[in-house]
Amino acid sequence: MSREQGQAHLDTYLAQVHRYLGGLSEAEARETLAELRSHVLDRTEGQLSPAAVEAAIAALGSPREVARLNVTERVASALETNRSALSVLRATGRLARLSLYGFFSFLVSLTGYLLAAGFLVTAVVKPFAPTRAGLWRLADPKDDFSFSLGVSNHPPPAQELLGWWIIPIGLVAGAVLAYLTWRFGVFSVRRMARGVRRPAT
Amino acid sequence: MVIKQVAPADDETGKWETQLRKGGLGLAVLATLWPGRLYGLEMLRRLDADAGLSVPEGTIYPLLSRLKAEGLVTSEWVESSAGHPRKYYALSELGRRRVRDMAAGWRAFATGLERLLAPLDGDQQ
Repeated sequence: MSREQGQAHLDTYLAQVHRYLGGLSEAEARETLAELRSHVLDRTEGQLSPAAVEAAIAALGSPREVARLNVTERVASALETNRSALSVLRATGRLARLSLYGFFSFLVSLTGYLLAAGFLVTAVVKPFAPTRAGLWRLADPKDDFSFSLGVSNHPPPAQELLGWWIIPIGLVAGAVLAYLTWRFGVFSVRRMARGVRRPAT
Repeated sequence: MVIKQVAPADDETGKWETQLRKGGLGLAVLATLWPGRLYGLEMLRRLDADAGLSVPEGTIYPLLSRLKAEGLVTSEWVESSAGHPRKYYALSELGRRRVRDMAAGWRAFATGLERLLAPLDGDQQ
């Protein structure tokens, strides 16, 4: 009976770890859980008494912490092999649910890329649709700093800013913003990876 | 080489030692694999027994997955006599070259530092 209890305790622990492995693919999650199970079985030398399982689990750490370590290192490793803008955005997205900093990084990255895309698309479309693409300052008496950027079939009834200058300015601003967002994403993922690494004692 | 703390560390010394131990851990883990393949718990026990390094158990597998992604180690699942499969890690060719280079760098650094630190031994006695 006690062996079954130990086994059940281990299964519960692994199921809890699995819940936090959302940033990994299903294959990566299965591999991680199999390795943790193997580790506990080795550490308990197959006895699987509830006390032995509890001690092994305590040495590994809480489900959330174990998942955070595994997801962060795997995501950071994947980023080092492919650092395209999309990969960096995807990496911050995979880490978003692990911590407040991860969520913040994803939000900043998403906003940065969307704004960069807005500038670039507007600059590219402007020559073909001069009245429908641009940057407008909205005539909102309550808000002096309300702007609209992009391409629209129904441009807002507002003062257009920059005019044709949106083409060079949009291209440069979009490229610079995309680059800075990319740098921020890489920095954030690396910072999170460094944050989960623990020294030997 | 066993690193032992000989005096209570103040905050700054403690941070420095933490960084040192973080930096050396990758080399230590790779070095455990030099004689042959090992599974995770064996590595932890080897680090503890041979180097006096106690590695938090939950951190060894993320570290190994990073070393694998860098192409320094390979892994394979093997059925064991214990009745469950174990994931064994081994140094890749790149890993063997890297650990040799890292060891040479570490020894050169440590030897130079030892020479600089030699006068401290006389003052401390």
